[in-house]
Amino acid sequence: MMQDFATVWSERGLLFAGLGNTVLLSLLAALAGLALGALLSTLLMSPKKALAAPAKVFVDAARCTPFLLFAYIVYYGLPSLGLQFDAWSAGLLALTVYHAAYMAEILRAAWAAQPRAPIEAGLAFGYSGFGLFRRVVLPPLALSSAPVLGNQVIQIIKDSAFLTIITLPELTNAVNSIQSRHFIPFAAFVTAVLLYWALCLVVEAGVSAVGRLAEARR
Amino acid sequence: MSLADVLTIFHGALTTLLLSVAGIALGLPLGLGLALLRWGQVPLLNPLVAVYVSLLRATPLVTLVLLLFFALPSAGISLGPVTAGLLALTLNTAAFNCEVWRAALLDLPKDQIEAAQSVGMGRALRMRRIVLPQIARTALPGLINEMSLLIKLTPVLAVVGVVDITRAAVRIGAQTYEPLPPFLVALAIYVPIVFALVSAQRWVERRMARREAAA
Amino acid sequence: MPTLIPLLSVVSLSKRFGSLRVLEDISFNVQRGETVCLLGPSGSGKSTLLRCINWLERPDGGRVLLDSQPIGVTSGGVVMNDRQLAQLRTRIGMVFQQFALWPHLTVLQNVMEAPVHVQRRPKDEVRAEAEALLRRVGLHDKRDVFPARLSGGQKQRVGIARALAMKPALMLFDEPTSALDPELVGEVLAVMRDLAREGMTMVVVTHEMAFAREAANRVVFMDRGAVVETGTPEQFFSAPSTERGRQFLQRYAEGRSVAA
Repeated sequence: MMQDFATVWSERGLLFAGLGNTVLLSLLAALAGLALGALLSTLLMSPKKALAAPAKVFVDAARCTPFLLFAYIVYYGLPSLGLQFDAWSAGLLALTVYHAAYMAEILRAAWAAQPRAPIEAGLAFGYSGFGLFRRVVLPPLALSSAPVLGNQVIQIIKDSAFLTIITLPELTNAVNSIQSRHFIPFAAFVTAVLLYWALCLVVEAGVSAVGRLAEARR
Repeated sequence: MSLADVLTIFHGALTTLLLSVAGIALGLPLGLGLALLRWGQVPLLNPLVAVYVSLLRATPLVTLVLLLFFALPSAGISLGPVTAGLLALTLNTAAFNCEVWRAALLDLPKDQIEAAQSVGMGRALRMRRIVLPQIARTALPGLINEMSLLIKLTPVLAVVGVVDITRAAVRIGAQTYEPLPPFLVALAIYVPIVFALVSAQRWVERRMARREAAA
Repeated sequence: MPTLIPLLSVVSLSKRFGSLRVLEDISFNVQRGETVCLLGPSGSGKSTLLRCINWLERPDGGRVLLDSQPIGVTSGGVVMNDRQLAQLRTRIGMVFQQFALWPHLTVLQNVMEAPVHVQRRPKDEVRAEAEALLRRVGLHDKRDVFPARLSGGQKQRVGIARALAMKPALMLFDEPTSALDPELVGEVLAVMRDLAREGMTMVVVTHEMAFAREAANRVVFMDRGAVVETGTPEQFFSAPSTERGRQFLQRYAEGRSVAA
C-alpha cells in the first residue's frame, strides 16, 4: 500500500500538473463566471422585458442542464457551427458560462433579500453611481452572498473533473493515467479524493473567514 | 438522424432515469440514517459520519465512480459498471441528503420531543409519529433540490460504460458526423425532467411559505 | 389524623449544570388532591425542579417517588432506560410553556395521539373521551383545526386537554401562561382553577400570584436553587417568614419585573 503511494509520489510531476490545471481552471472560471454572472443578474432584474426575458430563459435552461452535456456541446457540437475549441478553452468556456447562470441566480436572490433602507440612506447622503455601488451596495451584498457563492466555487471544482471526459489534463485525468500505467487504482484515486477535499476545505475556510467578517458587522 | 438513433437515445434515457430513481430511493433513507447518527451524538460514529459527509461532498462524482470501478477489484470486490455507478450515486447523494435532514432535525423545537416523552412515548414511537412527519416536511425542498442535482450528474456514468443518453449521443455523432443534433435530443430529454423537479421544489417552497405566513 | 402516603415525594434532589448548582438538596411532598405552586425569581431553579420530577432533566442526586414508586433510578440503584421512564411518565401529565402541540396533527388528533398509540386504548373510546375533554376546555368546535390556527390561550387549553387524556395521577405545569398575551391568560387559569377544584394533584410553576393565592393549597418559595420557605398561601402572601420571601413579594407588589 505505502509502495503504491510512493509510486504516485514518483509521478508527482504529472499529478501536480493536473492539480494545477484544476486549480487554474476553477479559479479563472470562478472569477469570469462571477463577472459574467453579475452582468447576467443585472439583465435578469432589468425592468425592460426585452432584456430580462431572454436572460431568464438562459439561466433557467442552464440550471436544468447537466454540466457534462453542456461541456460536450461546447467541445463536440459547436465545431459543426464553425467554432473550434481545444480542450482547455472549451472546458474553461463551458465552466464559465454554465456557472455564470448559477451565480446570476444567487446574486439576484441575494439582492432581492437586501434591505433597501441603507441604500436610501446612501442616496440621502449624496452617494451616487459607482461610488454608491462600491461603498454602500456591494459590501453587504458580498457578505451575505459569500456562503452560497463559496458553495458554487466548490461546484466548479467538482465540475472541472467532468472535463476529463473531453481529455482535458486536469487532476482526475492525471490520476487516471497514473493508475492505469502503474496498476495502482486505490492509491491514485484516494490521492485525488484527498486533494479535492483539501481544495474544498480551503474554499470553506475562506467562506468562514468572510462569515466571521459578516458576523462582526451584524 | 434516423428513428433508430432517436430510439437509442431514448433507451439510454430510460437507463439514466432508472439509475437516478434507484440512487434517490437508496440515498434518501441512507442520508436520514446518517443524519440521525449525528443528531444522536453516537460517540464513535459521530465524527466518522462527519468526515464521510465532508469527503463525499467534496469529491467529484466522476472521480468517485472511477475509484469504485477500478480500485474495489483490488480489494476483492468486482463491480459491474451499473453497480459502480449506482453505488457512487448513492454514496454521493446520501452525503448531501444527510446535511438536508440534519438541518431539519436541528430546526425541530426541543419541546416537541419533550411533549412526546412526557406522555410516555418510547423512542421508536416518538421518531415515527412526531419527529419524522415534521422533519419530512421541513426537509422536502432541500431533498427535491438534491434529486435534481443527482439527475444532472448521471450523464457522467458514461465514463464507466453504462449506456447513457450522452454516450449514445456521442456514438451517433461519431457515426453520422453530425454531433450536434444528438446532443440536442439528449438535452431535450434531460431539461424537462430537471425542470419538472425544480418546479416541484419551487411549488413546495411556496406552499410552505404560505402556511407559515398564515400561522 | 392518619398520615397519607404522599402521591409525590421529592427527596434531597440536587442538580448542577457544570459548576453551577441549580438545585440544592430539595425535599418536599405533595398529597393527593393538593395543588402546590412553585414560586420564585428567575434562575431559582423552579422549572428545573419540575422537569426533574418526570426526569426530562436528570437530577444528579436525590430521589423522586410517585406513589412510593421511584422515578428515574430503580430501587436497585440502576438508572432507568427509555422504556421504563416512558411507562412511568404515562402517569404524569405535563403542560409546557411554549405549548409544544404537535403541528402536523389536528387538535383532536393531538389529544387522542398518546392514549391510542402509547396506552393502546380503542380508538372510539379515546375519541369520545377526547371530545369530552375538549368540550371541558371549551375547544370542541376547534377539534379539526391545526394548532397553527389557534391563539396562544387556545393552544395551551389543548395542551391541558392532551395531558388530561392520559388520565394522569399528577399534573405538572411549567409556567403555563408565561408565553401568553395578558388577555389570554385568564382563560387558561380558569381551566386550571377548575382542575384544582375537582381534586387533581397539581404542581405549578408560575408567576401568576393571584392564581397561587386562590387555587394553591401550598406554595413553595425557591431562590437560588433552594427551598426558602413553604406554607399556605395565606401564610406566605400576608406574612412571609423569611427576609428573601418578603423581598420577593415586595418587588412583585411594586410591579418591578420579577421576570421569567
